[in-house]
Amino acid sequence: MSRSSYLLRRAIQALAALFVIATLLFFLFRLGLPDPTTALVAEGLNPEQREMVRRSFGLDQPLWRQYLIFLQNAVQGDFGFSFHYRAPVAGIIWERLANTMVLMVTAIVIAYLIGVPLGAWLSWRRGTRTDTSGIILGLMFRSAPMFWTGMMAILVFGVFLGLMPTSGMRTLPYSADGFFDKIFTVDFLVHLIMPALVVALYYLGSPLLIMRNTMLEVYGEDFIEMARAKGLSERRILYNHAARNALLPVVTQLAVTIGLAAGGQVVVEVVFSWPGLGREILQAVRTSDFPLAQASFLVMAAFVITLNLLVDILYTTLDPRVGFK
Amino acid sequence: MIVRYIAPRAALAFLMVSVSAVAISAQERVPEIYLDTTTEAYDPIRYEAAYIIAEAWEQLGLSVSVRPTEFSTLLGRFYDEQDFDATVVGWSGRVDRLDPQFFLGTLDSRQSDLGGNNPGGYSNPDYDALYDAQSQEFDVDARADLVHAAQDLYIPDAPVAILFYRDEVVSYNNTTFDDMLVMAGEGLYSEWGPMQATPLTDRTILRIGGPQEPDNVNPLASTSVWGWKWMRLYYDRLVRLSPDVEPINWMAESVEAIDETTIEVVLREGLAFHDGEPVTAEDVAFTFGYYAEQDYSYFDAYLAPVESVVATDERTVVFNLSEPSAVFATVALSQIPILPAHIWSEIDNPGELAPEDIPVIGSGPFVFEGYNRGEIKSLSTNRNHFHSDEIAVDGVEFIIYADMEGVFTGLQTGAIDMTAWRMEVGQIPLADDDPALTVVSVPDFGYYHTTFNTRRHAFGDVAFRRALTYAMDRERMVNVLLDGRGEVGSSVIAPVNAFWNNPFVEMFDFDMDAARAELEAGGYSWDDEGRLLMPAEG
Repeated sequence: MSRSSYLLRRAIQALAALFVIATLLFFLFRLGLPDPTTALVAEGLNPEQREMVRRSFGLDQPLWRQYLIFLQNAVQGDFGFSFHYRAPVAGIIWERLANTMVLMVTAIVIAYLIGVPLGAWLSWRRGTRTDTSGIILGLMFRSAPMFWTGMMAILVFGVFLGLMPTSGMRTLPYSADGFFDKIFTVDFLVHLIMPALVVALYYLGSPLLIMRNTMLEVYGEDFIEMARAKGLSERRILYNHAARNALLPVVTQLAVTIGLAAGGQVVVEVVFSWPGLGREILQAVRTSDFPLAQASFLVMAAFVITLNLLVDILYTTLDPRVGFK
Repeated sequence: MIVRYIAPRAALAFLMVSVSAVAISAQERVPEIYLDTTTEAYDPIRYEAAYIIAEAWEQLGLSVSVRPTEFSTLLGRFYDEQDFDATVVGWSGRVDRLDPQFFLGTLDSRQSDLGGNNPGGYSNPDYDALYDAQSQEFDVDARADLVHAAQDLYIPDAPVAILFYRDEVVSYNNTTFDDMLVMAGEGLYSEWGPMQATPLTDRTILRIGGPQEPDNVNPLASTSVWGWKWMRLYYDRLVRLSPDVEPINWMAESVEAIDETTIEVVLREGLAFHDGEPVTAEDVAFTFGYYAEQDYSYFDAYLAPVESVVATDERTVVFNLSEPSAVFATVALSQIPILPAHIWSEIDNPGELAPEDIPVIGSGPFVFEGYNRGEIKSLSTNRNHFHSDEIAVDGVEFIIYADMEGVFTGLQTGAIDMTAWRMEVGQIPLADDDPALTVVSVPDFGYYHTTFNTRRHAFGDVAFRRALTYAMDRERMVNVLLDGRGEVGSSVIAPVNAFWNNPFVEMFDFDMDAARAELEAGGYSWDDEGRLLMPAEG
């Protein structure tokens, strides 16, 4: 089978998956979450007024018609108006997604840049105390809940030592001409460090342990014996031969992690008051903001599906043994 | 002889015993009661209060099942479906609810339809008559008498048990700002707060912190109190409720009732919008007309009595009401923001404005500067405003956090100067210990209540409701759950609302003996297992 027909097939599968997910999300929210206008009773709105609001949300229509309207709009790229914000959903999601991705990508890059070589090195030092401490540290940070590490970091570096800002993306108020103007500043970097490190420490465990364990497996392979027989140095074997092969599962894990990153880490975003998508999803579900909740989850699903597809393709390049089928 | 004497008597005795046996077995147990409340995560206080109540009710011989419910679902079941036995809910005390109209209305039988504010279904024609009378009584003292009488009337019927009034505990940094105004029901974040705060350091911009983000800043779309708390800083109104909650003329130089249904308002001289355009009577007339014609329900209750609003000259506006309304001049005129006609008359569908297109020009003491969603809202002081000489700050900023933890950390590190709303219970002692922070306990005129569904089995019976009310240990709730920061409940009009509250009403102090006495007097009894039985039929 050729590459292009494989790609086409996978693309169609991806679209089908997204369609199914969108449908599931649509019905899940509308049937599972309470009516968004119920909370308005606390604002003193009477039943007629709340019915007016429901009408403006299109909730007075029968469910199947709401679904058709939703599909019709989604195909055109229109994800509707947020009930809560009364603004187009796309704009809100893009803003938040960008904030989340900066945080997540930074954290993932740090985690993998440290975790991968460190994991490889630990495998070399297998059995020693360094190895054990490395594993313990990796597991420790992975097990520690991020809200705890986050709060500890804020407490120590922010409140007690006063070295770091305790919340937000920038020192408020600030003015910026757009997204890149906002993030390419020292101020932003300073605000990024703590949340990114908290997430990175959490993610560190995965590449660390996967790399270490895969390396150990690879060491047992024949071609490593061959390399040793050839007289290559341990270091060269480690990094040029073994590591390259051990990278494959790490790459898969990386792609999946990036895919899931779109949902943000709700916990970190709340602890650091980072205006990201995770925090927004939480609020959307709380306020029964169906269009925003649907679209947010759909974006996450799209990320995961796309990245999975990319990984599969990447794999064929990385590992010549794997072909298209 | 035996047959003629003993047999009939024996037969009669047998008949009597069997009849009474039938009567006793016909007495059923009072059905199981479901007490709905919030989840512990949403509000541990309401959650615990329900369990305290259930415990006492079980001692009266009832079978009670507490149902912690997700909040929106709870409200839906209570208001929209009226599918409940007894529910623990709360009303927040907002400035516009100081007027007794709103809370008295929660017992008006006309508001007991599905979705209305009287889901318990209390129906007392005498009460309804008093309610109508007070809503049309212009003489405040006469109206107060009617309001007091209404409270006297409904309380012995115990349709709703007011559990407590909960203080709002807020905090501010006393080293950065002084003269922080505290207002009942509003805490520190009132419309007056920023106008009275005095900077103590070089930073002259007051920073408020809170986890509450407005839904939007569109005066024709926002249905959130947090949107309005912000917008009322840069939009102005004809009348304002002073820090002592009395109506004072603000944009209006004079407000006169020409007759029962006509009110004439003369604007102050020299009013201007933030873009320099003057504020005229046309803007006022336009605003009221615009709100009436647009599909925006937030102000419907205030606009209901308005028939027409006409500008008779540059600074004079006449309001023609369809029926007399005592609340109009005091409440409605203090809530409707005056919009610039020259901007809004161009906008046909204000509810569909994109966020970046929402006009932000008002005529208030502060000017809109910016809004970064999820991060910060900022205003600067309008030095052309007639009140600006009294304003010491140069601007106000609201920092939006994800939760109260962030807010409190911000307060501790000096990133913000005050909290927008109540602190978490665990944060109060921390704030108390911090010399840089001042903690304020603000009494509320909203209240937490247990409402009975009078349509269900024993709940329709006054004696039953009274007994259940006697069995509520409210002192314990205030002391243990609120840590003493609150007051035991009495009437729907809170004591802090001193003018309208009737302090002489029946109190229902916690008394299990009185509860049992009520039940006995009502014909209830207990079976062998101590379970309460419904009164005998007939």
